[in-house]
Amino acid sequence: MKKVPIEYQISPYMVFFLVNSMQIGVGLLGFERISAKLAGNDAWISTLLSGLSINVMIWMIYKILNQGKGNIVAIHHDVFGKWIGGAFSLIFLFYLLVTGATILRTYIEVVQVWMFSIMPTWILVGIFLILCYYIVSGGFRVVAGICFFGVLLPSTLAFTFFFPLQFADFRNLFPIMQHSFKEIIKGMQGNLFSYFGFETLLVYYTFIKNPKKSQKFAHYGALVTTAVYTYLMILSLVFFSEKQLASAIWAYLSMSKIIQFSFIERFEYILISFWAFVILPNVVLTLWGVSRGMRETFGMKQKYILPILILFIFILTILLDDRNKVNLISTWVGKSGFIIVYIYLPVLWLIQSLQIKFRRQT
Amino acid sequence: MEREGITAMKSHEKKPVNPAKSIDSLQGLFQILKKSKDFITLSPPFNSLSIRISYFRTLVDANILHQDVLSYLSGRSFSSLQDVQAVLSFGTSKVTEQVEVIQKSVLNGYILIQLNESDSSCLLIDISKIEGRDITKPEIEFNILAPKLAFVEKLDTNLNLLRRKLLTPYLRVEQLEVGYLSNTAVAVVYIEGIANDQNVKEIIKRVSSIETDHVFDSSYLVRTIVDNPNSMFQQFISTERPDRVAAILAEGKIALLVDGSPFVITLPTTLIEFFSTAEDYSIPWIVASFFRALRVFSVLFSVLTTPLYVAIITYHYELIPKELLETLVVSRSKIPFPPVIEALVLEVVIELLREAGARLPTKVGLTVGIVGGIVIGQAAVEASLTSNVLIIIIALSALASFTTPIYSMGNTIRVIRFPFIFAAQLLGLLGIVIASAFLLTHLLRTKSLGRPYLSPFYPTRLSDWKDSIIRMPLISMNRRPLAASAKQPIRFNSEKAKKNRTSPRSDFDD
Repeated sequence: MKKVPIEYQISPYMVFFLVNSMQIGVGLLGFERISAKLAGNDAWISTLLSGLSINVMIWMIYKILNQGKGNIVAIHHDVFGKWIGGAFSLIFLFYLLVTGATILRTYIEVVQVWMFSIMPTWILVGIFLILCYYIVSGGFRVVAGICFFGVLLPSTLAFTFFFPLQFADFRNLFPIMQHSFKEIIKGMQGNLFSYFGFETLLVYYTFIKNPKKSQKFAHYGALVTTAVYTYLMILSLVFFSEKQLASAIWAYLSMSKIIQFSFIERFEYILISFWAFVILPNVVLTLWGVSRGMRETFGMKQKYILPILILFIFILTILLDDRNKVNLISTWVGKSGFIIVYIYLPVLWLIQSLQIKFRRQT
Repeated sequence: MEREGITAMKSHEKKPVNPAKSIDSLQGLFQILKKSKDFITLSPPFNSLSIRISYFRTLVDANILHQDVLSYLSGRSFSSLQDVQAVLSFGTSKVTEQVEVIQKSVLNGYILIQLNESDSSCLLIDISKIEGRDITKPEIEFNILAPKLAFVEKLDTNLNLLRRKLLTPYLRVEQLEVGYLSNTAVAVVYIEGIANDQNVKEIIKRVSSIETDHVFDSSYLVRTIVDNPNSMFQQFISTERPDRVAAILAEGKIALLVDGSPFVITLPTTLIEFFSTAEDYSIPWIVASFFRALRVFSVLFSVLTTPLYVAIITYHYELIPKELLETLVVSRSKIPFPPVIEALVLEVVIELLREAGARLPTKVGLTVGIVGGIVIGQAAVEASLTSNVLIIIIALSALASFTTPIYSMGNTIRVIRFPFIFAAQLLGLLGIVIASAFLLTHLLRTKSLGRPYLSPFYPTRLSDWKDSIIRMPLISMNRRPLAASAKQPIRFNSEKAKKNRTSPRSDFDD
């Protein structure tokens, strides 16, 4: 493995923004409904638990990466050999790519439902993908810069989190823990997908200066996400009644409709437009990660891989032309994400640790 | 005769003159120079020796030639050029045989003295006369509370202005030449031990690798060596203020002075530097911060208001509350165009007026242009071609774009408005956000001398933020900005400065 030159690398603190921007995405606009369906008014506990379990997973990812010699592709190569390792890498990269496409498609769906109902998907996706190409072709530092601003600029919208409080009914939350532990765990299913995205860390790890120092920043990033999600979950529980929430597909957007100033109404338009800054990091970092991973697997230049990936996303998003298909693929991506993060990565860690121990002995 | 003419023509054809090639013999040089009418070769009759003096009449000072050269030479005889040199006491004289040096010197206003016509060594004496205007007040970068000196076209005068500001032996001036026709002198100025060596090396490498025939201005020169020539954003600052250059040099950056240009280039730069003025440092920091923030806000205002108008009126009129919407609708009720046409027409009118104002001989032209704009605008409203509200918006955003202290940045800001308007027409608010993302990406990709352009925001350098959108007290700026990556980051001892500060004490402190 060739070392990444220092002029392409980023400072450890940037990992905070990379992790946070990848987690907060389109999920924030509407993860609340499914969680609430499964865990009722205790859904916020499952949101909190998911966030904490994500932190455990980040800790484990760092364990894997710190004892390996490079990113996930190199580790796969090291642990499973060229062919099997390569196949695993490709599966992982394919999962990332489909995640990126799903996020983009879901966002476009929001735009179509709330703003431009007759705008064809391919125009919106096309414009976005051109922008993505421009960003990714600038290299990792530019991608990281977009992630940085993708956290910073939308955070100016944080004040919208407090407007719905004027209509809050905190009695909705009580009694706490009236659902069984099993139901709460089930409720985690509803929001785990919204927390995913941090696993791109497996690819860009080698692009961090002093990667070991970056771990705490990754945790901070995930903790901020946990706090935001948990707060939003509580907010939707106290703002909506249980029945209302069950039919609110985009709960956060519905809540933001009540925001009013003397010169602006219908704040959700601004929110949805600004949300492009939140979506961009998700798409560009996955695109960058996949192209980088493929480059390391096949030895092809990123320059040639990226257009193919973009074309793939373009076609895939056009094929997903109705709500059911989008839902289907979201569920699929969520499930595979769950399998990769919670089942495959621990197994990988185990095999890798055993192998290192074994090699040391011989 | 005829045949001779033909052979002469033929020989001319055989030996085409190539100005890009260097001349290798003194004889050849003379042959070329003699063809010009203002090249004079004298063989003064006042002594027996066949001493020969050659020079460009138009480049030398005739008074010095007569008083200090010819009068000393008459009635003496010399056995060597060193004797002549001893008699003529000029500081800048040299004896040389190198044709290249001779050519350069003669073209710079030196006179050339030979003892014999066939001699290959000659004495060169500098009696050049450089015409140019006097130092005047800065006109483009006008500041109210700051020194009132501006650079001129003469390189030596500019270097003088600069050296007067920084009386340190570490101020280094490296001279290079660019362009095989113009042979323009380019001075790379920096403070040794403070400026980053890598930056200096990089800039000297880039300047000396320029392939061109002539250079007429410093910005022209730098255009060819910037990191991204396709960018609308300048990756260097061109200023006419010696105080600004001195301050930038003290930060550890590098200045490029080009002979014949009243603008000095400084590198590397960051986006935020374009919004600072020399004045900012001479007024109280709270006031200065307010004005800085105002300038940055005015950029956003200038770029975003017209597109927002187009987006909201075209797609999202629900955003506007009922009472406010009424005003908008009434003012637009008689207008037959869609908002985007209305906005584009007015924007183009304003640009026309500005451009016309800039081409008019005096600065009055600018004022006339703006006043004309308001008159035309009023007429356009009465003819119901545009709405009142839009006139206000566009006039304000044009005004806002004039607040940037560096002229070229104002131009950039006005141009990037147009893609934003088109984006707003295409996708409304979302289009504006996407256009902003494009702009942001572009700025992220832009580099100045290989250094990030968006510093100190990205990569985040918190210690540089105190001189960015805000300007903190001078005592807090004891370190040089990290964006300059100076070799010696500490500017002054802050502890000492704090101790030496004489703040009045009151009973409260005891």
